[in-house]
Amino acid sequence: MSINLSALKDPTPATAPVDEPIVEFKELWKSYSGRAVLAGVNLKIRRGEVLCVLGPSGTGKSVTLRHINGLTRPDSGDVRVFGKSIVGHSEEELSPVRRRLAMLFQGGALFDSMNVEDNIAFPVREHTEKTPTEVAALVAEKLNMVGLPGIQRKMPSELSGGMRKRVALARSIALEPEIILYDEPTTGLDPVSSEKIAQLIVSVNERLQTTSVVVTHDIVAARTVADRVVFLHQGLFQFIGTFDEAASSSHPVLMEYFRAMGFPCGTGVFETAPKGV
Amino acid sequence: MAPPEPSATAIFYRNLGWLRFVDRFGRKGSAIVDYVGGLAELIGEAILDCFSRPFYGTEVMRQMDELGVKSVAITGITALFTGMVLALQTAYSLEAFGGKMFVGRVVSLSLVRELGPVLTALMVGGRVGSGITAEIGSMTVTEQVDALRAMAISPSRRLVVPRVVAVVVMMPVLTAIADALGILGGLAIAVLELRMTFQDYFTSILQQLSISDISSGLAKTLFFGFEIAAIGCYNGLQVEGGAAAVGRATTRTVVLASISILISDFFLTKLFLAI
Repeated sequence: MSINLSALKDPTPATAPVDEPIVEFKELWKSYSGRAVLAGVNLKIRRGEVLCVLGPSGTGKSVTLRHINGLTRPDSGDVRVFGKSIVGHSEEELSPVRRRLAMLFQGGALFDSMNVEDNIAFPVREHTEKTPTEVAALVAEKLNMVGLPGIQRKMPSELSGGMRKRVALARSIALEPEIILYDEPTTGLDPVSSEKIAQLIVSVNERLQTTSVVVTHDIVAARTVADRVVFLHQGLFQFIGTFDEAASSSHPVLMEYFRAMGFPCGTGVFETAPKGV
Repeated sequence: MAPPEPSATAIFYRNLGWLRFVDRFGRKGSAIVDYVGGLAELIGEAILDCFSRPFYGTEVMRQMDELGVKSVAITGITALFTGMVLALQTAYSLEAFGGKMFVGRVVSLSLVRELGPVLTALMVGGRVGSGITAEIGSMTVTEQVDALRAMAISPSRRLVVPRVVAVVVMMPVLTAIADALGILGGLAIAVLELRMTFQDYFTSILQQLSISDISSGLAKTLFFGFEIAAIGCYNGLQVEGGAAAVGRATTRTVVLASISILISDFFLTKLFLAI
């Protein structure tokens, strides 16, 4: 099937103008080895929403995410988080912003040398003055939230892929951040575990009143969690809107992507489950 | 008639070999400058982090055990047998001149001033330097280092400083133990093989060995320890890719640490002899 890319160069957001953005990209450019992964993207993320960044592998979804907490620096353009630019600052200067953010990495990124309790307690011990008893109670509470009570003494190597991600999520929410960044949270998991993680993202977002940015190529998970989705292709956000709007979109690339993932697209006829179900 | 002027294209192709050489040389040079610059930046950051809070004292103690105490066996065995070999070689070389009595003096001086510090540093460089790179490299490729940054925790402060401090503190201790074991190895050969007495051996040592010999040898190891830990940490943090990249970085650490120990040993020896 041929794709008419010229039709996609000037995407029009499918939703009304966003007010009060908690994160904002302005003309963001990032290239690797001469290839533009982000080619002047603009985006506003609203406070309290769950935004999914969809797109094929290797299109720069994770790079997009890493710009929000300053792990990756743009070639040009601006990233504003909590209303302030985070571009051009040192690691030390980024610390106050990073303390209000958390990131769930693709593989969990749990510290191998620490058990589950120490992993979850790590940011708490670093950034707060809580007593050991308070820290232990907080760890137990967060483990309960992710549905893994009583595994404090286990080492990361003793956990399954799904459990590692849930422990990593518990660590991410230990300091009750205002924004949580999820990098491929369901990749490598079986459908049941993927669904559990997706449910957790929704419940954490609701209980902690956070803003979530979820990078994924898992459409099922996106359907469960997303308030809005953006579709990244060839360095640009080709589509911004709700999942239902994406599902009924006539964008050729988006249609092909949905079809490749086993979803009919462009007709608007397939049923989308209510969020969180 | 004068031959026609060669065209610019012809000149280009005639010198292509040279151009390729210059290009390759330039790339290598640029990579070396990048490496040294990055290493210097990390060292500067780590030194500043040493003198500001938070300081991870417990982690330093853990690293001192992991990197220092667990290296006693390997450095001790190396020094013990080096002392024994030195005693045998010295006795064999000096026997014709009746110089067997100098065995203790030669063994102790060689060990304390040069072989103890350098061999200990090379063994620690192999064991500890490679271990540091492998551990931090694995953390880098599994995004654990990025996780630290994302949590607003400096990888330099959390990973580099404790290792550098631990190795710098433990190197003189390991060297002192190695020196003592080397001298004891020499004693064993002197008594069992060369039929010398304890008294002759130690008298020979005490007549020659001075505090400055011991202190210059131990002082060198502070620099060696710093080099080993800094190179090990930097190579670990620079890893990109997967397990193969970690392996390559580990090898690079052993090579670079060994070379830097041997080169800096020359300059440090010159410096301490001049003082």
